Amino acid sequence: MQQSNRLWHRGGVGAVAVAVALSLASCASSSNNSGASTSAKSGAPLVIGASVSLTGDFADSGKAVQRGYQLWANGVNAKGGILGRKVTMKIVDDASSPTQVVSNYQNLINRDKVNLVVGPFSSLLTVPASQVANRYGYAFLEPAGGGPKVFAQNLHNLFFVQPAPTTKSGDVFADWILSLPASARPKTAAYTELDDPFAAPIAENIRARFEAAGIKTVYKQVYPAETQDFSAIMSKVVAANPDILVGGTQNNDAYAQVKTLVQLKFSPKFMFLSNGANSPLEFPSKVGPQNTQGIMSAGDWFPGSTATGSADFTAAYIKAYGGTADTIDNSSAEAYGVGQVLADVAAKTGKIDNPTLIATLHQGTWPTLLGDLRWGPDGAPSGSFNLIQWQGGKLVPVYPSAVAQAKPISPKPNWGG
Amino acid sequence: MHALIQGVILGILTGGVYALMASGQTLIFGIMKVVNLAQGAMVIMAAYLSYQLFTRFGVDPFLAIPITTVLMFAFGVGVELLFLRPLRREDKSELSLLVTFAVALLIEGVLSVTWGTTYRSINASYANSSWTLWGYQITVVRLWAFVLSLVALGLLFWLLNRTRFGRAVRATVQNPQSARLLGVEAQWVSALGFGLGAATAAAAGSVYGLLYPFYPGSHYDLISRLLSIVVLGGLGSVGGAVVAGVIVSTSSAIVAATISPAWSEMTFFVILILVLLIRPQGLFGNVDRGAI
Repeated sequence: MQQSNRLWHRGGVGAVAVAVALSLASCASSSNNSGASTSAKSGAPLVIGASVSLTGDFADSGKAVQRGYQLWANGVNAKGGILGRKVTMKIVDDASSPTQVVSNYQNLINRDKVNLVVGPFSSLLTVPASQVANRYGYAFLEPAGGGPKVFAQNLHNLFFVQPAPTTKSGDVFADWILSLPASARPKTAAYTELDDPFAAPIAENIRARFEAAGIKTVYKQVYPAETQDFSAIMSKVVAANPDILVGGTQNNDAYAQVKTLVQLKFSPKFMFLSNGANSPLEFPSKVGPQNTQGIMSAGDWFPGSTATGSADFTAAYIKAYGGTADTIDNSSAEAYGVGQVLADVAAKTGKIDNPTLIATLHQGTWPTLLGDLRWGPDGAPSGSFNLIQWQGGKLVPVYPSAVAQAKPISPKPNWGG
Repeated sequence: MHALIQGVILGILTGGVYALMASGQTLIFGIMKVVNLAQGAMVIMAAYLSYQLFTRFGVDPFLAIPITTVLMFAFGVGVELLFLRPLRREDKSELSLLVTFAVALLIEGVLSVTWGTTYRSINASYANSSWTLWGYQITVVRLWAFVLSLVALGLLFWLLNRTRFGRAVRATVQNPQSARLLGVEAQWVSALGFGLGAATAAAAGSVYGLLYPFYPGSHYDLISRLLSIVVLGGLGSVGGAVVAGVIVSTSSAIVAATISPAWSEMTFFVILILVLLIRPQGLFGNVDRGAI
């Protein structure tokens, strides 16, 4: 979820090219729609195609997605595959390009005749890719395209394998604050929001909930991506003296906000940062581990999660790639979750093909290492992220209580404590 | 009002840092008539050197300055000898724009390969500390950076006005031909002058790394600000760069506090355009001869 989709803005030209490519593709393919009919031959390998950004702007996250898919396939094969069929992942590189991703999925479906396809990294690539899949009747489970434009397409074949759309990832913080007894509930809030489709809307959704519940907005500021010096913004936050500070942040701006508040010696009673603070390694190294205590963020998978399959995933990841659970990119977990859902459908229905996937996944709840998922008609998941908090130098889930591993620390202690 | 004054205090302190960064650039222009587009990249390079010394050997970023200064000085002399000296004299100013931009890209590329493209920051123990003075917060790093800038600029002033080398530099700035006739080795003055300009990036880099997260591409933001400071102060005027650095960063802080942070980044350029309209030679510039 983190660095999701900073390149949306640049997508204008790409979108036109994609539209042209798609219309050409639709002409070419109207006579041939048979790719989706999956051969149910028992024993033949189940080939799953994916286009992933192994180079270009999304390369780091793309590789993490590839690891997740591959780990899942290896794990399933070690247990005999799906319905007796070995799983083969066919992964191709799209160079983070929205035009290449279209060709890739067309080739996977038409030329390679893969049985199933799963999604790429970022909303920017998911939108055109999901349209190709839809045209050929393929189900499209995708781990990393959670932006509003993905769901605005209203595709029936699309399923975003995360607990909630990206812009609603902060709602769990509002849920928790509003669940506090009236005596403990904060009265005022300030909002500092990065002008980015994956940052500001998260804070805006929280603001709407808080204002409706009578929590007064004492300061709100949207800042441009170039903002480097937060002295002025944070001085105004200090002057407004809010109980809650909600930061609609990405990465650097989150670190800078915390650092500046420490320098200004102002510690709000509650502090939520939509992104940046959910990075287990980067955040403490950037703001100082002693200043993390009590800061909140949102996440789906987290190291030490007890959700379905999380322990297997973590062990397999460390065995294959080394490191510790803290070094695992969430994108790997999300891609692994896509595989879990596929396997679950096969186990429940005894079938693994596109029509079954599309028909089945619109109902019921599907347990994954990201929590229990369920989807609306547009493929937007209707669950919620977990509220996570820094406690003693570690990120711990604190709400909702079903996943909580510790009680929330509130109010947030002063800096350095 | 409190927020405004707080913003202005930090703006003035930051202005000192900008002055330090811009002084090297204006010096290079004064001596060589070269607009050094690599100055921002050299600051970022020095920030990485300081980062490396801090994370690897635990050297305090302020104490690392003498080491990085020597390295950056040598680097600057090297760039002058390798890339700028071969340029033909008549169109040196124009060509140097391209050459120094290429140097900036080269530095950016090497930094990306060496340290990757994720953001780094130097987290010294005092990076987030501040002193409280009548209810206002004075951040330790910015205050020291300001003091350091004054010291470095003082040294520069002393070097230019009280030493033989300084006299040679000033003579070259004012009239290169006459200087050569009087026995000044203009070629060496250029190389050492460029080295000196690069050396100011060392101190600036340490301070920059303490204040802000940086990555190899950070120099694009930086160079546009440095250019506006240098032009505002008057190309070639070190004193002008100091005054201009404080003016732009303070006004940018005031705009952020009173209007909106969204406009504060723009302040640099609005001021620049106004200056170019009203006083094209800058605050302390001189159209007839170089000024230092």
